Amino acid sequence: MSLLDTCEQLVKLAGKAGAAEAEAYAERTRDASVRVRDGEIEQLEQASSKGIGLRVITGQRLGFAYGTDLSKGGLKQLAEKAVALAKGAAKDPANALPRGAELGAASAGDYDPAIAEIPPDWKLRAAREAESAARAEDARVRKFDSTGAGDFLSESAIFSSRGARGESRASYAYVYCSPVAEADGQLQTASWSDTRRTLARLQRPEEVGRIAARRAARMLGARKPKTQRVPVVFEPQLAAGFIGGITAAVNGLLVHKKSSFLGALLGKRVAAQDVTLVDDATLEHGIATRPFDGEGVESRRTAVIENGVLRSFLYDATTARKAKAKSTASASRGWSTLPSIGTSNLYLQVGKLRPEEIIRGVKSGLYVTAMLGRGADVISGDYSRGANGIWIENGELAYPVQEVTVSGNLLQMLQGIDAVGNDLDFRSATAAPTIRFAELVVSGA
Amino acid sequence: MPRKSKEARRAPLLPLPLVERLLSAAMARGADFAEVYVERNTSTAAMLDEGTIKSAQSGSITGVGVRAIRGAQVGYAHSDDLDEPALLRTAQTAALIAEGSRETGPVNVSHVPLPTYYQVRTPLASVDVSRKIDLLKQANAAARSYDRRVQQVTGGYADQTREILVANTLGHLAEDRQDLCRLSVQCVAFGKNGERRTGFYGGGGRVDFRFFEDFSPEQVGREAARQAVATLGAVPAPAGPQTVVLAPGWSGILLHEAVGHGLEADFIRKGTSLFAGKLGEKVASELVTVIDDGTVAGGRGSINVDDEGNPGERKVLIEHGILKGYLYDHLNATLTGQRSTGSGRRQSFRHAPLPRMTNTYLAPGDQSADEIIGAVDRGLYCRQFGGGQVDISNGNFVFEISEAYLIEKGEITKPVKGAMLIGVGPEALKNVSAVGSDASHDPGLGTCGKDGQTVPVGVGLPTVRIDNVTVGGTGA
Repeated sequence: MSLLDTCEQLVKLAGKAGAAEAEAYAERTRDASVRVRDGEIEQLEQASSKGIGLRVITGQRLGFAYGTDLSKGGLKQLAEKAVALAKGAAKDPANALPRGAELGAASAGDYDPAIAEIPPDWKLRAAREAESAARAEDARVRKFDSTGAGDFLSESAIFSSRGARGESRASYAYVYCSPVAEADGQLQTASWSDTRRTLARLQRPEEVGRIAARRAARMLGARKPKTQRVPVVFEPQLAAGFIGGITAAVNGLLVHKKSSFLGALLGKRVAAQDVTLVDDATLEHGIATRPFDGEGVESRRTAVIENGVLRSFLYDATTARKAKAKSTASASRGWSTLPSIGTSNLYLQVGKLRPEEIIRGVKSGLYVTAMLGRGADVISGDYSRGANGIWIENGELAYPVQEVTVSGNLLQMLQGIDAVGNDLDFRSATAAPTIRFAELVVSGA
Repeated sequence: MPRKSKEARRAPLLPLPLVERLLSAAMARGADFAEVYVERNTSTAAMLDEGTIKSAQSGSITGVGVRAIRGAQVGYAHSDDLDEPALLRTAQTAALIAEGSRETGPVNVSHVPLPTYYQVRTPLASVDVSRKIDLLKQANAAARSYDRRVQQVTGGYADQTREILVANTLGHLAEDRQDLCRLSVQCVAFGKNGERRTGFYGGGGRVDFRFFEDFSPEQVGREAARQAVATLGAVPAPAGPQTVVLAPGWSGILLHEAVGHGLEADFIRKGTSLFAGKLGEKVASELVTVIDDGTVAGGRGSINVDDEGNPGERKVLIEHGILKGYLYDHLNATLTGQRSTGSGRRQSFRHAPLPRMTNTYLAPGDQSADEIIGAVDRGLYCRQFGGGQVDISNGNFVFEISEAYLIEKGEITKPVKGAMLIGVGPEALKNVSAVGSDASHDPGLGTCGKDGQTVPVGVGLPTVRIDNVTVGGTGA
């Protein structure tokens, strides 16, 4: 039976069990990966997984149950459990499944048959190539945390009593390398990886290994700088981390609960002119591209911040109803979780400056290449995160630094972005080019 | 030696003859060790927001993971289909790590007797969901009545009843039922000019549902509310190096990040941890004795048996500042000629085990909290903590301080906001200058992530003073 048929069957069983509305979401995945050490296989992993989740609404009360047993008996049990659970939840008029024009009927997905047919030795070869390239790149790289490659295929289906009906497929291939460089008793690790929906677009494994090795080796000799206020440059992955953290502030539910520092600023200038932040589930070859969201609403592009002005919050169907807004098709979910508001392909629009030009504009400051900790607190608006990186002197990357924190106020940070780079690359679902903050507190010695 | 239980055993999660056939199949290509891990996990959760129960949910997951090891090479496969042909295919997939064939004899497994460190009589899965929902309603009411400035309350209750069976080709067979629950509340207090502060509290463990009669939901709600209100009007945390005093309990996350991860045997064997090769060396102040203990009664990180079938243990990792031992799983112990310390844990049957912590704490000293704080002329008192993270190679770690105050002339004074501590593990531990007698475990909230796998853990710390720690903040 297809996943969609299974979903349909479960929704019918839920109706029989007493659900007024029901929605089933199922996934089946296949993943295979290899990890190497010193050119030998360290771990081979292969598995298929499946699961199904059922959301029911009865008398405006919400219940949810999930499981891995897709047999008729298993589904019947799920249906009864979900309906029984709904009885314990509170009535909420916002509890209703999306319907009608909101729903996307498309059955599609970014699926590359080349990934489905990857020969087993491709992964081993790729991982070995990455590892040996890393070793060859720098004599101080002799140890590895891990190096590997893998592929991941998934199909998902959704069916609801309100008309949601869709199937989607996705494929991913990835390669990663985490070397450790060593000199004078100091160990420095770094990692580099690439994940793509199509095999042809995947970065060459040797290149992944070389970049990873350079990133680890350049941190050797890192010291702790003095505490000071200086311009701070985030390289692309860290810039992506920053906008990812900020995004919780445009989560429609947090906004509705007045728990976001951006909540009262819709239509207002919240960031520098060059800042345009987009969530786009329709992006071609995007890691998170999908035909519909986790409750079947058709995917779209949403400009969250446009030229510095806050344009939109992100909503799923339930929160949109509560806030008298429209769903932005932002429901994220897996089969074992209720839908909740999340991002798809989230990115900061590319700017004009080359990264070297951004660095050249700094007399003394920090170029951040790795971070520790959670960072943004969108309720209070505070930001503080551990950082490693390279100190900038007279516009040049001068020497490695570690054991510092970078702190600021989120709204001031957004407004203080004074340079956006031209180096946007969609390496992960959240992506950004190099950015520079005019001034942050760097806390060290 | 604990005595074997006399109770009649329930039927195993998978028939033992089938488990033995799977072990044989996993060995068929010449592996030198194989293991079958069977898991059934039934979980319940409920969420309260904006004053009402938003949802109640429940799930059940069952599956089998098969591991075959040949030398340092591991094959791992898993399946959520429990019929024999699917499971045999899974075992054959894991077996592919070895190349060749071998006449595999039959494998026979027998039970390993286990003590119990849990305090659970009734499986949490069989407690009615309405009682779990009541906890949330009571916590919500208590939080809201604490102070009118508390305007958002979010509560969560989650539990699981996890049954496992582990069998391996050494003939070991272990079965365990690991119940776990947790109640938590987050409050947001609204101050003047749009100021918002958050408070978070909760707890639980491997305990009976009656735990919440003593650890009451009202107490949880009030404490979350207190934290949120306490830091309204806080000034920015001063940036730069200073003396900090950590309040007891959840502050143990310092140990978890600053040393715990760096002592896990996979990093040690690969030489990627800064603690590799330092056994017997001084890595901390002599006031520091660090213990990882899977046998704490009812502890969130406690385990009768780890996910490789080895009993949970109490391990002294650092004694009076000297590095004494590492945390071993089966694979890394075997490869380095050591003994497993019962530290092989995994998130689920979908994951191969890794060396992990259980409950990690600092042994108490002899000073009172007042003495420790009183000796500080100018510093930071850290009362509540958020999460943390470590880079095990360079030893850099951070942890977030959610409630902190200035110490001025030995007195706790103004609240500060946005503080975070950063340090290098061994350096921070060498700077420990006072350890209190008030040892305390965290209330049972912690979850640790490593290589994409999460497991429940506990931490503990008495009041501790550390000199010259870098504090991240925006203040002068």
